[in-house]
Amino acid sequence: MNPSPFQVTSRLVKDVAVVYPQGYLNNLAGEGLVSECSRYARTGIKKVVVNFGKTDLINSIGISLLLHVMEELQAVEGTLCFTDMSKVQVDIFEMLGLSKFFLFFPDEDRALQFLNVRER
Amino acid sequence: MELGKALFNIAALADLGEEITSEKNFQEKLHSLLHVVLGTFLASRGAVTCQDRSGDTMAFVARRGFDDLSPAAIDLGRIRSAGKNEPFLNADDAALAAAGVEVVTPLWVRDEFIGTILLGRKFTAEPYSREDFELLRVISHQVAITLNNHALFLNLSEQLNDNRKLYEEMRRIYHDTLQAFAAAIDAKDMYTRHHSQRVARYASAIARELGWSDHDIEGIYVAGFLHDVGKLVISNELLNKKTPFTEEEKAEIRRHSLVSYKIISQIKFPWKDVEKIIKHHHERLDGTGYPDALSRDDLSEGAKILTLADSFDAMTSERAYRRKMDLRSALIEMNSCLNLQFDDKIMLAFCRVLDKEIKGELPEPDILPHLGRESDLTVISAMLEGLIEELSGQKDGG
Ligand SMILES: [Fe+2]
Ligand SMILES: [Fe+2]
Repeated sequence: MNPSPFQVTSRLVKDVAVVYPQGYLNNLAGEGLVSECSRYARTGIKKVVVNFGKTDLINSIGISLLLHVMEELQAVEGTLCFTDMSKVQVDIFEMLGLSKFFLFFPDEDRALQFLNVRER
Repeated sequence: MELGKALFNIAALADLGEEITSEKNFQEKLHSLLHVVLGTFLASRGAVTCQDRSGDTMAFVARRGFDDLSPAAIDLGRIRSAGKNEPFLNADDAALAAAGVEVVTPLWVRDEFIGTILLGRKFTAEPYSREDFELLRVISHQVAITLNNHALFLNLSEQLNDNRKLYEEMRRIYHDTLQAFAAAIDAKDMYTRHHSQRVARYASAIARELGWSDHDIEGIYVAGFLHDVGKLVISNELLNKKTPFTEEEKAEIRRHSLVSYKIISQIKFPWKDVEKIIKHHHERLDGTGYPDALSRDDLSEGAKILTLADSFDAMTSERAYRRKMDLRSALIEMNSCLNLQFDDKIMLAFCRVLDKEIKGELPEPDILPHLGRESDLTVISAMLEGLIEELSGQKDGG
């Protein structure tokens, strides 16, 4: 049983979409994350930051969904950044050889800084 | 296989089991299963096809990508002639190759060809490994049974039979994988070889004596296997050090139960509280254990069982820093730690199992075969009888 149902919220910071998945990324509800990113990609947004601060668990389904997001952004030559990911999850990405395909940042500010966006 | 990868594969099988047994409708279930497969092998494209019963064609039942692939274009003869549920690299089929299909697995249940799993290249562009193929074979078998169960023409008894087989197969896979994994943990520390396996067996024997259900016994067995996973983060030199540990080194070693907990919490097992039992395998009834310094009433029965099984094995096996104890000394030592470290109810169950094993009352002993033969079993048996009387007397007296 999932302690919290999966939800996605997002906001636009200049030309960057910051997406906040919330809950376990381990079932089809996680497709909400893909559609949210695709929605931005369709409007021409090429920079996406996914903040995992409120996501405790990513399983194989979650990884499949994240690959999907990555592919969509690659198709438009976009950039995908992950922030606030737990060490265990970062280690899994590392172990799977995926870390070179994604950009990891400890927090959102640093990801936005990297993407050359300053808030306020 | 690398340990992290082994753990990831265990987790993938757990995900698969969860999806197969879920109450979702068939379409959703297959869609989830496909995601599990894609995520496990890091493939961005994949599909599950099902044989059309009326003719010799296939239909997609779940897919991601392969949009241009028409099922009619697939050469079924070639796929049928390959091994049952054996993945192979697509080399010959032009239609599949054009669509980007790299790996084909024919799905069979008994003598019936029922479909395929098709996978595209890995996102990382790495080739599929031998381990990938092994895991894919296991997964395919289960997806095949799931597909087959759905087919309406199957009669109920056959379905039940397949479900039971599927469940047994899942258990076997779990145990094989866990075993490989536990062996790897134990190999890191030369003095604790087979420690995880023994602790698993001791703990499940105690749980059985306490009347636990088969399902829960399986859970504590798995907890026993994995309780020291966290030792993987401790350096080999420190683990195998012969001189006494400094305070800092002790603290470093004590991290392992919390690390085990963090790793295991990532896996969704079909058993309850595996991760909590593991977290608390170094807690003590007197509240001086770690990591949470819990005391008697806060500790679950599972944690108390694992603590005792773990300590008993530590006492009766050789360690870098000390010789092993004989059975008699270990029992005396454990008895002197009652209510401080060990729960008397668990100790009583442990003594009962051991006593039964010595008397040959249990067909498959779990503890005795692992102990040295230097002890005189008649002396031990008399000692156990005394302990059992004392402990059950205590219980009756409140
Ligand atoms: Fe331990
Ligand atoms: Fe241990």
